Amino acid sequence: MSEGKMPDNIPLEKIDDFRWRIPRSYKPGMRVDGLIYADEKLLKDIRQDKALEQVANVAFLPGIVKASMAMPDIHWGYGFPIGGVAATDPEKGGVVSPGGVGFDINCGVRLVKTNFQYDDIKSKLKELVYALFSDVPCGVGSKGDIRVTSKEEKQILTKGSKWAVEQGFGTQEDLECTEEYGAIPDADPDAVSERAYERGRAQAGTLGSGNHFLEVQVIDQLYGREECDSLGLDLGQVVVMIHSGSRGFGYQICDDYVRTMMPCLKKYGINVPDRQLVCAPVNSPEAQQYLGAMRCAANYAWNNRQCLMHLTRKAFEKIFGMSWQKMGMSLIYDVAHNIAKLEKYEIDGKEKTLCVHRKGATRAFGPGHPALPQKYKKIGQPVIIPGDMGRNSYLLVGTKKAEETFYSACHGAGRLKSRTAAARSINSDMLLKELESKGIIVKASGRATVAEEAPQAYKDVNDVVDVVHNAGISKRVCRMRPVGVIKG
Amino acid sequence: MAHHFLFTLPKKAVKNYELLEHTADIGIRVKASDLAGLFKSAGLAITDISAEKLKTQYPEKHKIVIDQKADNVEELFFNWLNELLSAGAAEGLIFEDIQINQINENFIDAIAIGSDIRNYKVNTEIKAATYHQLKVQKTDLLWQAEVIFDV
Repeated sequence: MSEGKMPDNIPLEKIDDFRWRIPRSYKPGMRVDGLIYADEKLLKDIRQDKALEQVANVAFLPGIVKASMAMPDIHWGYGFPIGGVAATDPEKGGVVSPGGVGFDINCGVRLVKTNFQYDDIKSKLKELVYALFSDVPCGVGSKGDIRVTSKEEKQILTKGSKWAVEQGFGTQEDLECTEEYGAIPDADPDAVSERAYERGRAQAGTLGSGNHFLEVQVIDQLYGREECDSLGLDLGQVVVMIHSGSRGFGYQICDDYVRTMMPCLKKYGINVPDRQLVCAPVNSPEAQQYLGAMRCAANYAWNNRQCLMHLTRKAFEKIFGMSWQKMGMSLIYDVAHNIAKLEKYEIDGKEKTLCVHRKGATRAFGPGHPALPQKYKKIGQPVIIPGDMGRNSYLLVGTKKAEETFYSACHGAGRLKSRTAAARSINSDMLLKELESKGIIVKASGRATVAEEAPQAYKDVNDVVDVVHNAGISKRVCRMRPVGVIKG
Repeated sequence: MAHHFLFTLPKKAVKNYELLEHTADIGIRVKASDLAGLFKSAGLAITDISAEKLKTQYPEKHKIVIDQKADNVEELFFNWLNELLSAGAAEGLIFEDIQINQINENFIDAIAIGSDIRNYKVNTEIKAATYHQLKVQKTDLLWQAEVIFDV
């Protein structure tokens, strides 16, 4: 079908090899320019769908500062493009938009180290993948073995990962290596609907489905020797990457607040070209309620990934017969890529607290940033970029230069083909065989997921990471290749 | 509010929608001669997209009452689809039939009849319906709707 596949005619001005501008003049109502981080090669794909139009639409948001930005993995979303970054100034009527965070609030990734070299685990890899698949609950609507009561669920919403650590599912050190130390303050459990509680209760400690995954990966390329040494990473080393979010709990909060904010457009006289950009001034009661609920979902997600890591460590212990501490399974970092945060920036010589939306974009604080734990003050915040299941994933660190993107980088490879197109053209059995011949073992709960998530459905993450590295908004540390993949 | 009781339904093949191409998500277009048919077809499309029937191990059917109000027909359509998704997820049900008792452009009163999710293999998790490019229109003869789901 032709919908969405018409190449766009949006004017783009080249700033340099990695930066492109959509001038404000493109559409009446844009308050700032659009700013796209991409190279010519990626732009060809980006122009195939409606992502650039969405960048222009986000520029309508009241109080938006500097530009409506897009990372090189940008693709067509709903409302915001996936890969979009927008900061608004609450003092100038700046808004928060639930659509600028998305339904999967605090969808994010964590990267766990091991002391193993690939050769150490090679003979047990299949066994390990099967153990992870059976012990880490995944798939649509999957329910967790980690059961929580209503009272405990409420605690999770304010304590985040700390709840899991209190249950013995991790350590204090894990919290230090998690964005916001695993719990963003000012979460308001009273702003959460009964339905959200209901949907969240059964799903604590579950991976989910779609593009969520758990991967055993091997480092196949080092870029930053200093950072690798500091993190204790070397060529051939085995790491584990977990990609998951806030599950049905987060979807319900987004749904609830898209509905309740709809009258705000009229009430506050806001004009946006797409209703999914529905929003309210950050300082309004509606926005404060949303932010309170959104933070609950963010904390739910951090706790979820903490539980998933615990189950992963347990599965490793079962297969290799030693403690996770002995296997060196410490957390490198956990970072969100669907979230809105209040962060301080200097704008025109004045310090401002801005509301930064990252919709499919990863926070990338540079060296010395006050929010970073001591161990990352020198090298900068680890930025974890998952790719597709056949090629690579990356570890980068934030840079001081990333201040220009409100310390944001890409969040993945970015989809190229729709799920339906992928499912039509890809035979999942053949794909699984092909991956196996490359040394990649895949266990998925849904056959359709395999085809939909095929490497061919994604852009090459190497191209995407090249742009953020070359533009200077993050710095490559090392690259991984998958050897074991668990898909929901 | 959920009412649970037992009864049987005739099996139906439903394909009253077409898929729209979207890079990351799934869009559908639905056509019907009246609003009730439009809302019913769109609601059942959710089941068709996401789930595949296995052997029925849990034959009990569950009825869920769904009442929604809105300022206009598009908001009503959005609320309706999201309420179905949300209620289905909360109750662990896949909806196999829908009875619409009363509908106009601002109000719907319906009963969704669901089967235990364990009777199905769920392939695609639909997170929610979105407002992006949402259209609900009446032409001379037909009602038509387009909606993009976040998956």
